[in-house]
Amino acid sequence: MAQARLALALCLALAAPARAQERAAVDFARDVHPILVRRCVTCHGPDTQRAMLRLDARVPAFAGGRSGKVIVPGDPDASPLVQRLVDPDPRRRMPRKEAPLPAGEVAVLRAWIAAGAPWPAGVGPDVASAVHWAFRAPAPQSPPDVRDPWVRNPIDAFVLARLRAEGLPASPEADRRTLLRRVHLDLTGLLPSPEEVETFVADPDPDAYERVVDRLLASPHYGERMARAWLDLARYADSDGYSIDAPRVMWRWRDWVVRAFQEDLPFDRFTIEQIAGDLLPDAGDRTRIATGFHRNTMTNEEGGVDPEEFRVEAVKDRVNTTATVWLGITLACAQCHDHKYDPFSQREYYQLFAFFDDADEHDLLVDAAAVRDRKNRQQVAAASAPVLRQRAQPRDTRIQEAGDFTRPGAPVQPGVPAALHPLAPGAGRATRLDLARWLVAADNPLTARVQVNRLWLRLFGTGLVATDEDFGSQGEAASHPELLDWLARAFVADGWSHKRILRRIVTSATYRQASVARADLSARDPANRLLGRQTRLRLDAELVRDVALCASGLLSRGVGGPSVFPPQPEGVLAQGQVERKWVVSRGQDRYRRGLYTFRWRMTPHPALAVFDAPAGVETCTRRTRSNTPLQALTLLHDEALLECARALAARAVRDAGGGDAAIARLFLFAVQREPTPRERAVLWRLLVQTGGDWTAAARAVLNLDEAITRE
Amino acid sequence: MNHGLDPWAVSRRWFLGRCGFGLGAAALAGLGAPLPGAGATGTRAPRRRVRNVIFLFMAGGPSQLELFDWKPELQRRHGEPVPASLLAGKRFAFMDSYFARKLSLLGTTRRFARHGERGTWVSELLPCTARVVDHLAIVRTLQTDVPNHGPAKAMLNTGFFRYGRPSMGAWVLYGLGSESRDLPGFVVLASGVRGPRGGALNWNSGFLPTVHQGVPFRPGAEPIPYLRRPAEIAADTEAETVAGIAALNRERLAATGDPEIATRIAQYEMAFRMQARAPELLDLQGESRAVLDLYGVEPGQPSFAANCLLARRMVERGVRFVQLYHTNWDSHGGPRENLTTDLERVCHDVDRGCAALVLDLHARGLLDETLVVWSGEFGRTPIGEPRETVGRNHHVEAGTFWLAGGGVRPMDLGRTDELGYASVEDPVHVHDLQATILHLLGIDHEQLTFRHQGREFRLTDVGGRVVGKLLG
Repeated sequence: MAQARLALALCLALAAPARAQERAAVDFARDVHPILVRRCVTCHGPDTQRAMLRLDARVPAFAGGRSGKVIVPGDPDASPLVQRLVDPDPRRRMPRKEAPLPAGEVAVLRAWIAAGAPWPAGVGPDVASAVHWAFRAPAPQSPPDVRDPWVRNPIDAFVLARLRAEGLPASPEADRRTLLRRVHLDLTGLLPSPEEVETFVADPDPDAYERVVDRLLASPHYGERMARAWLDLARYADSDGYSIDAPRVMWRWRDWVVRAFQEDLPFDRFTIEQIAGDLLPDAGDRTRIATGFHRNTMTNEEGGVDPEEFRVEAVKDRVNTTATVWLGITLACAQCHDHKYDPFSQREYYQLFAFFDDADEHDLLVDAAAVRDRKNRQQVAAASAPVLRQRAQPRDTRIQEAGDFTRPGAPVQPGVPAALHPLAPGAGRATRLDLARWLVAADNPLTARVQVNRLWLRLFGTGLVATDEDFGSQGEAASHPELLDWLARAFVADGWSHKRILRRIVTSATYRQASVARADLSARDPANRLLGRQTRLRLDAELVRDVALCASGLLSRGVGGPSVFPPQPEGVLAQGQVERKWVVSRGQDRYRRGLYTFRWRMTPHPALAVFDAPAGVETCTRRTRSNTPLQALTLLHDEALLECARALAARAVRDAGGGDAAIARLFLFAVQREPTPRERAVLWRLLVQTGGDWTAAARAVLNLDEAITRE
Repeated sequence: MNHGLDPWAVSRRWFLGRCGFGLGAAALAGLGAPLPGAGATGTRAPRRRVRNVIFLFMAGGPSQLELFDWKPELQRRHGEPVPASLLAGKRFAFMDSYFARKLSLLGTTRRFARHGERGTWVSELLPCTARVVDHLAIVRTLQTDVPNHGPAKAMLNTGFFRYGRPSMGAWVLYGLGSESRDLPGFVVLASGVRGPRGGALNWNSGFLPTVHQGVPFRPGAEPIPYLRRPAEIAADTEAETVAGIAALNRERLAATGDPEIATRIAQYEMAFRMQARAPELLDLQGESRAVLDLYGVEPGQPSFAANCLLARRMVERGVRFVQLYHTNWDSHGGPRENLTTDLERVCHDVDRGCAALVLDLHARGLLDETLVVWSGEFGRTPIGEPRETVGRNHHVEAGTFWLAGGGVRPMDLGRTDELGYASVEDPVHVHDLQATILHLLGIDHEQLTFRHQGREFRLTDVGGRVVGKLLG
C-alpha cells in the first residue's frame, strides 16, 4: 500500500504524460475524494451548490449540475469535470478565479474516470440529491403511525413522533378561557365577549371548539387580521416615503386585501390578481385594484432627482419583494452579481426585472363622479387607486452592470430562474400574467411551503423554517420537514384555501396545547422548536391597541375605508422634512382598529413603532418582538390607552356596581378570566391607596403583560 | 400551577442586569456561572478598567483610503489596471468577472498630513479628529468575513454573519450588569439619512434575556415618546399603579413561568424611574456654552454631535453601552454616495462630534473608564468602482477603526500593503476587536458564554484573540 502511494506520488511529481498515469492504481477514498473536497466543495459542496452541482457526495456528483452530467465513467475527455479543469479560457476554467489545478491532480482525476469512476459507498456524505431541499417539490408524506389519544389530526402525528424521538411528552390542552382568547386573537385579533366566554366554558359539545373556529373564520374581523400580516409583506403605508413623504391613497388596495381574505379568495387567484390583475381575461376594477400590491413601493418627489433612477429602484423592489414573499428567497444580491449561495444569476435577476419593467404606474379612477363634478386634483386623487398597467411597447430591458441603471449591459427577455420549474410556454413575450401563474404553478416547489410556513409562524411564534424569508441554502433547515411538506401539499389540495389550512392547524392538539413553561422543555428546547407546548406571544402593535379598545367597549367595528388619525403625542410629525398635519379623528373614527391608523412612513405613530410595527420601507416577513421600557411608557401614558382605561372602569362599575364583582369584571373584559384571590387583593390595595380610583385599577389591568399577550 | 419551574430561579437569571448594579463580574459568580477570566486552565483574569463603552458605528463602511490609510504607491499607480493577483479568488459585493477586467486602481484626491506626536497620517476630511490623534489607537487592518452590509453589520455587532445572535451591548450587559437604576444599560442613538440596515437586529439580545436588548431613542426633540406622565395622573397614583402592575405581573410569572414577564416587570420599573431621570439626561440646556460649542450642538437640533454629547451624559449616569449609528458611508460612487460631496458631508457630520467627545471625556477624567470605538462594518477597496462617478467597493481585507480611552495605548497599529489592499502586519479580525473590547471590560471572551440549543455560544463565535499591543 505504502509502496503504491509512493509510486503514485513519484508519477505525479514527474508529471509524466497523462496516459501513463491513468494506468497507476488510484484509490478513490485516498487519492480522489480529497482532491474534490479540497478544490471543489467551497462552491460545489454541502453549503453551496453553484450551478446546482455538488461534488463531495456520490449521488449528486454523478447526477451532475444545471448543464448535465459532469462525470462520464470511462471517458475522461468527455467528462466536463476534467474539461473545465483544463479549459484554456480562464473565465471557464475551474476552480474559478484561482490557479489551475496542478497537473498531477488532474491526472489523478483522469485516471479515476478512465478506470470507470468507481465511488465506493460510504465515502463522502450520504445524500440523495444535489438540489437544495427547498428547490425540490414537496414530497407526499404519510403521517407517522403514532397511536395516542392526544393526536387529533395528522399535524399532531408528525409533532408527537418527533417529541417521542427526543423522549419528551407533549403538553395538555390549554384551559378553555386561554384557548378561546388565543384563537380569537389569532383569527380575528379581537377579544371574545363575556357572553362568548360563558357560552364556550359551559358548552359540553365535543365540537364546541370547532364551532368557535368556524364562527371566527366567518367573522368580518378575520379578514382584517389576516390582511395586516399581508400588509407587512407588501410594505404597505399611506405615504410616499423618502424626504417628502407625501400622503397617498392606498386604502382601496388595503380593503381589497381584507375582502380577499374574508371571502377566502384562493391563494393562487389572490396571487395572480395582485401580480397581474390588469392582464386577466376577466380583468375589472377589482382585479386592477389588486395590482396595488406593487404600488406600495416608495416614491421620491424630491426636487432634482432623476425619475428614472427611482423608477428603476421601484422595479427592483418589486422583484425583490416578489421573490421574498412568494418564493422565500433573497434575490436582492443578484442585482449586482450572481447569487453567491443560491443558483440564481444576475442575468436571471434582470429577466425577472423585465416582467415588471413592462408595466407602468397608473392611477385608476374608481369614482367617476369625482371627475364629472370637476373636482380639484386632490379630490380626483382621492377617487383613484394606484395600479399597474401594461405598456403598449415593452421596454428594452438590459442587465445593469453592478446594479447601476446608468450602465446597461446585454438585453434580456422576461424569464424565470433556470434552477426552478419552467415557465408555461406561451405565445410571444412572457408577461406578468405568465409570471403570476408560474408563482402558483403546480410544480413550484416554494410558494406553498413559504406561505404555510408563514401561517405557522403566526400561530406558533416561529416558522417550521425559522428563516421564513430565506428558504435558500443560507437559511435554516426545517424543524419538521415532513410536516412542512404535508402542510404545503394539503394547502394546494384544499384549493389554496387559507381558511381550510388554518382550520386544520388551529384545531390540532399541537396548537391547542398549554403555553405554560415546563422544566424539561426549558432545559432541552428553550426556543420550543420541538413544539412540546404552545408559546406565549406578545401581541402585534396594532393588536395592543385593539385589545384595549375591545376591553373598554370603545372599539369601532367598522371595516374598511380611508385611514384614520387616533391621538398621538405632539411633535411626531415635526421630524419629517415637510411637516404634515395630524388632525385627530372624531366620532367613531377615533376608536378604529390599529389596522386603520394612518401610516406615515417617515414619521410613524410612536405607539405602533415602539411595539415593532414595520415602517413599510421594505417587505417585512417577520416582526421582531422587543420588550422595552419604552413600551411600558407607551401603555402608561398614551392618551388612547388612558381613554380606554376610563371607559373600562366605567364599564366594569356600571356592570357590577363596584366592589369585588367590578374587579372581576375588569379581569373578565381584559383577560377573560377570574382574578385569583391574590390578584384581587392587589387591586383592592390599589383602590384603597388611590381613594377608590377605578380608572387606576383599569389602567393597571390594561398594562398587564397578560393583557398584551396571547397565551 | 405547577410547571416544575421556580419562577424566581428563572427571573434571577433574567434580572441579572437589574440586580448586578455595580457588582461587575461578581454578578456572574453569585449565580453559579463561571467568573469570566477564572477559567480552570489558569487564564489570566483581565484587569478591568473600562466601565462604559461608546461605540460610534459608521454605517456603510467608511473609506479608510480617503481618511486614514495614506498610500503614496497607490497615488503613483492611479489609473493602472488592477493586478490580477488582487482579484483572483476574492469575494466582493459588487463584482463579476466580465467587468473585473475594466477596473483600475484608484488613488485619493484627498490631501493627507501628519498629525500629533506620532506624526499620524490623517486626511483633510477629518480636521477635528486629526487634532485628537494623540488620544487614539488607530488600527488600519480591520478584517471581516462577509462583503455585504447586513451580514457584515451582523458580524461586527453579534460576531456572526446571520442576524439573530446577541449583540455586543447585550453580551456586555449580560456579563457586567447595568450601573444605572434609572436608565437602560444599553442605549442606541441614530443620526444620518436613515437608520442602519437590519434595524433592531443590530442591538437585539438574541437568545440572551430580552432585558439586555438595546433601547433605541428617537432622533429629535422627543427622544423618548410618552416619557411624560399626563397631567391628570397624580404622581402617587402613578407610583401605586406601577407597583400594582408589578405585583400582578409577578403572579402571572409564577403561573406561567415565562421569563418575558420578568423582563416586562423590569422594564416597567425602569420606565418608572426613567420618568424622573431621563428629562434631565436629555436636557442639554444645562451644558455650558463652551461645551455646546465644542461639539457644535444647538439644544433641540438633532445631530450626530448632539448624540455624542448625549452619550457622554449617559456614561456619566452609568449607562453601560451606548451605540451611535450614522449613515451613510457607502461610497460606491453612485447618486448620494460619491467620494466627493457626499463623503465630505458625512465626514463633516461626524468629525467634530467624535473629537469633541474624546476631548470632553478626557477633560472630565472619564476617558480612562470609557472606551470609545469608531468603526464601520468593513473598509473599501483601492480599486475604483465606476458608477455615476468612480467610487470604492466594500472591502473585507482592510479597513480602519480607532479606539480611545479605556486604557488603550494611543498608537498606530497594523500595516496594509503598498496599495492598501491587504493587511500585511498585525491584522485585526472583527472577532479580535470584540475580544479586545471585552478584555478591556474585564471579561475573557472565551468565558462569557451562554448555553443555547445544546452548545455554548459567545460573542466571538469560534475565533477572537485579544490584541495585546493595544493594551496600555
